[in-house]
Amino acid sequence: MVPKGGNIDERLDALFRAYRDACPDRDASPNFMPNLWQRIEARQTYAFSFRRMAGAFVTAALALSVALGVYMAVPRGQQPNAPQSYIEALSEAQPLDAPDIVGPVSLDLSDARN
Amino acid sequence: MLVDFELIKRAQKGDSAAFNEIVLAYRKRILGKITRLIARAEDVEDVAQEVFLRLYFSLDQLRTPEVFEPWLYRLTVNAAYDHLRKQRRRQEFRISDLSEQQVMMADATAGGKVEREEQQQKKIREFVESLLSEVSESDRILLMMKEVEGLSLKELEKVYDVNENALKVRLFRARQRVLKAFGSKEQ
Repeated sequence: MVPKGGNIDERLDALFRAYRDACPDRDASPNFMPNLWQRIEARQTYAFSFRRMAGAFVTAALALSVALGVYMAVPRGQQPNAPQSYIEALSEAQPLDAPDIVGPVSLDLSDARN
Repeated sequence: MLVDFELIKRAQKGDSAAFNEIVLAYRKRILGKITRLIARAEDVEDVAQEVFLRLYFSLDQLRTPEVFEPWLYRLTVNAAYDHLRKQRRRQEFRISDLSEQQVMMADATAGGKVEREEQQQKKIREFVESLLSEVSESDRILLMMKEVEGLSLKELEKVYDVNENALKVRLFRARQRVLKAFGSKEQ
């Protein structure tokens, strides 16, 4: 089976030639073309449905963006005394003259002396 | 070139009849190449269909019809490579795993000259297959394209889109590995 004679390089080349002869060009079966077109059509259908799904997703995303934009742009009526910002809300909740915040600190040291 | 540029341009524009003609022209050659690259007769048509499927969907990316053949061979190389990788993952039981004695017994049972010749060819395929298992799938395909398909370095450069020196280095290393395996199996 393995070609004899010559050095190892030549024997390997001869083996590759024998391999070439052992695997000649061959013709396809009668089903080759129908199966090929079946696979092409299946891939096209898949690609088409994927494109349609992607298109629908983009349209939905666009519609949602527009709806959100409109919602944010429409001015809404505010409550008369509603706080406008965090600082304002904070100052309203705990005004500076509130005794529990700004009152002098008093320490009861009577227990410590005893 | 087995087809003219006009036919390729027509196929690029979506002409199914032109694409059919291209497939019919190259089918036999591509089937032969794949047979030698993957060495599994039962999977050859499947891989060849994959090559033409990829060709169909990538034909519009081909800028000039002049490079059609290297382009088609690149698709063939890639499809064969993908198949070999999948095959390695499957870890199928192969006849090359049989001992020499088992192969000889299989030979003895096959009678007649044609059967003997077929057995002999099968043994060559098995033997080359076992040598090529010593290199990676990509090196195996490169080596086959050079040594068995007879592509020149210039042609391989176009197929692989890699410079000649890099190809020479890879080919040399792959051949050295195969030679080493060949030497040890001969003893």
